[in-house]
Amino acid sequence: MSESIKRQNKELSALNEDYAAKYGFHDPVNYFHKGAKGINHEVVEMISRMKKEPKWMAQKRHEALDIFLSKPIPQWGNTEMLNELDLDNIYYFMKPIEKQQHSWDDVPEYIKKTFDKLGIPEAERKFLGGVSAQYESEVVYHSMKQDLEKQGIIFLDMDTGLQKHGDLVKKYFGTVIPATDNKYAALNTSVWSGGSFLYIPPGVDVKIPLQAYFRINAENMGQFERTLIIADKGSRVHYIEGCTAPIYSTDSLHSGVIELIALEGAYIRYTTIQNWSNNIYNLVTQRAQAHKNATVEWVDGNLGSRLTMKYPCVQLVGEGARGEILSVAFAGTGQHQDAGAKIIHAAPNTSSRITSKSISKGKGRASYRGLVKIHKNAINSKASVECDALLIGEDARSDTYPTMEIDNEQVRVEHEARVSKVAEEQLFYLTSRGLTEDEARLLIVNGFMEPFTKELPLEYAVELNRLIELEMEGSVG
Amino acid sequence: MNKNNDIKIPDIIPELERGPLWLKEKRYASREAYNRTPLPSRSLHLWRYTDPNKFTIDREKAVDMAFNEGYDAVEKMELNHLKEGNLAALATDLGGKTINFYGIEKLTAQGIVISTLSEAVEKHHDLVERYLYRLVNSHTGKFEALNGALWNDGIFMYIPKNVTIENPIHLLRESGLANSVQFPRLLIVVGENAELTVIDEYGGGSQNENKEPSYTNGAVELFGLENSRTRYIMLQRQQPSATFYLNHRALVEKNADMLTITLAFGGALSKHNFGVILNAPGANSNMYGLLFGSDRQHFDNHTLHRHLSGQTTSNINFKVALSDKAVSAYTGLIRIDHKAKNCEAYQENRNLLLNKGTKAETIPELEILNEDVMCSHGATVGPVDLSQVFYLCSRGISHTEAVKMIVNGFVNNTIQKVPKDLQERIQTYVTERLEHI
Repeated sequence: MSESIKRQNKELSALNEDYAAKYGFHDPVNYFHKGAKGINHEVVEMISRMKKEPKWMAQKRHEALDIFLSKPIPQWGNTEMLNELDLDNIYYFMKPIEKQQHSWDDVPEYIKKTFDKLGIPEAERKFLGGVSAQYESEVVYHSMKQDLEKQGIIFLDMDTGLQKHGDLVKKYFGTVIPATDNKYAALNTSVWSGGSFLYIPPGVDVKIPLQAYFRINAENMGQFERTLIIADKGSRVHYIEGCTAPIYSTDSLHSGVIELIALEGAYIRYTTIQNWSNNIYNLVTQRAQAHKNATVEWVDGNLGSRLTMKYPCVQLVGEGARGEILSVAFAGTGQHQDAGAKIIHAAPNTSSRITSKSISKGKGRASYRGLVKIHKNAINSKASVECDALLIGEDARSDTYPTMEIDNEQVRVEHEARVSKVAEEQLFYLTSRGLTEDEARLLIVNGFMEPFTKELPLEYAVELNRLIELEMEGSVG
Repeated sequence: MNKNNDIKIPDIIPELERGPLWLKEKRYASREAYNRTPLPSRSLHLWRYTDPNKFTIDREKAVDMAFNEGYDAVEKMELNHLKEGNLAALATDLGGKTINFYGIEKLTAQGIVISTLSEAVEKHHDLVERYLYRLVNSHTGKFEALNGALWNDGIFMYIPKNVTIENPIHLLRESGLANSVQFPRLLIVVGENAELTVIDEYGGGSQNENKEPSYTNGAVELFGLENSRTRYIMLQRQQPSATFYLNHRALVEKNADMLTITLAFGGALSKHNFGVILNAPGANSNMYGLLFGSDRQHFDNHTLHRHLSGQTTSNINFKVALSDKAVSAYTGLIRIDHKAKNCEAYQENRNLLLNKGTKAETIPELEILNEDVMCSHGATVGPVDLSQVFYLCSRGISHTEAVKMIVNGFVNNTIQKVPKDLQERIQTYVTERLEHI
């Protein structure tokens, strides 16, 4: 590796230092509507009117706002950071001038530039089934390959989905994550904008992964995307979401809600890599429902943001359902990755596996917060949880807060966690083979992350390795 | 006993107004803290599975002490153990009101102090003032403050430098019947290079499930000074409808060794909180837990290993077996502080569910604030391994017998850790409970 990597490393230098120049680009703000900061029923009414939504949705938004206002800020987790977030100092809705685009050529030049800097390869753009790029709070670009349409797959941004397939949306919207679930889910329900709506008809196997890129691009702007994926009986789909965002001086909030529904025998894999800049609060609710013999897999990577609170969940509601969650977190100085996983076994013969890997570096803090709940009727269920934490640096912190609630005896539940630093003898071995300590450390960290990276599409894996390399720069001593 | 309301303590009853000024001040501060502190929130995980309302008391309703008939038999048995030379000493503590000591003459000759707390306050004033309320006090929690304000009398032990007591000292703490209220308190200081084994047994309490429960709220403070070796064995075998609360804190100094074994079989509702603080390099703590619940018993156990100093080691092995409709919640925290380098900490929690209707919650937690550590934990919940049952059945053993053998195997290595004369009794409790399967 050495020479070329070193050159590359020097070029990119420490991620945090020149993040603004490399990734923190942002275009001059040019908004059609910026509204006022803060939230009240007027803002919600305005959003709903501008979107020309059906009445039931407007009502849902207002109800959710009341719930949001009545719920206190969570009293658990990193309450210190949570209390620093000023919810009144945020724009809850913005709409770019651009109208919906349907082909790549129509996408405005400056947005294309943004994607270039993000390094989305040309080949990938062609191969992806549909690119739904969320810019600001609304989708500005959306294309779908004809063969997907032919199969009857609906892949739209959430707003268009609501306009065109109102009945389908109404049937499933908020059924997995009701507004009452938590404060931030209530907030999202009342001001959501953008996100993806995906419906796979019965028996359809989507051969290529579907992706959406989006980024935040205005100061103090929250992004409240709402994603709803329905995989009908026996269908299969892999959805990928990844993001990076520019740096701004004041805190910004990202609070998405992602609902997945896997009907009988369906398979959904949802992959996210989150790399928000280090001033963003990422408070996301992700939950899936797996019906009879269905499988849902969350592959969840958390690299960026200031505070992330994200606990992907699978509810196993049908017999024989399976849930798998693979979660990876990397916390550098100033970051708290409060990530985890939840599995609810609510039917017999269900099985689940949680694998969590975290790295805390410098003054970073990574927490695993998880829940395995086995209900009374979920006999013959199996659940296993494995948490690995790696600490790099004297001030690094790692927490493990797993919860297991078992309400019946015909189950098998296992939990295991380990916390340690990079082993001296491994370093010694590698350096004795001629690697520098830096290289050896990187190799060990990459090995630690491998169970995660190998689940990613190639280009993501490459990108992730490069990011880890950047983060690991000069970590010796 | 009050079910849904946070009743204040109006005043310290006059008979507790005795003793020196500092003690009075501590009692008053504890009362203030109790009255000021709201009931713990159910959203905090330590109280998620157990209703704090169940641990408040209404003193107006409290009755005078009367004791369980079975008590005399246990006392006789332990007095026999003492006669036979299996015990170093025996202390009986009836509801904090009547405390007697047996066989302590030899020990006092060695400079060992075993007495009531009230006597120690007078005779060993400096020692008591220095250590009492240091680990369990009004800042620990609402119910700890309650004990701090209202304990009547307790037991004090001091083992001087370089003194080794080979056999265990057995403390028999008996609670009263229905509606009785008691606050047992224990303070032990094990001096430099001294060695002590103590069995702290809690029995008694209300028997009849339809009657109001008895209420016991205990506090234990243990100090293991430099190079000392302490073994503390807690046995809780209260009657079927007793309410039991205990906070145990131990401070382990340089190169000292602390062994804590908790054996929980009794009570309708019990909440135990065991904490060991590793305060100086070389301190080592081992904790073993064995809990066997049946009927509708509710257990809530918390363990804490706090590594305040570097080069300290800790290990926890907590086993839970449940039959009938018994419920257990276990939360265990290992916390390694920022300055505590080169620590090793391990934790294991196994839950065996023997019947339909049993429930087990487990939260093994880690909070690691520096990189120079080796830490791991594991937790399992499940029924008896069916392949093991199958193997035993194939050897001609009946299904029930096979299950019993496997459960005995599960609990056996913990039982092996307790002093010999207690082993037999623990085995009896296990066997009794195995009849429920």
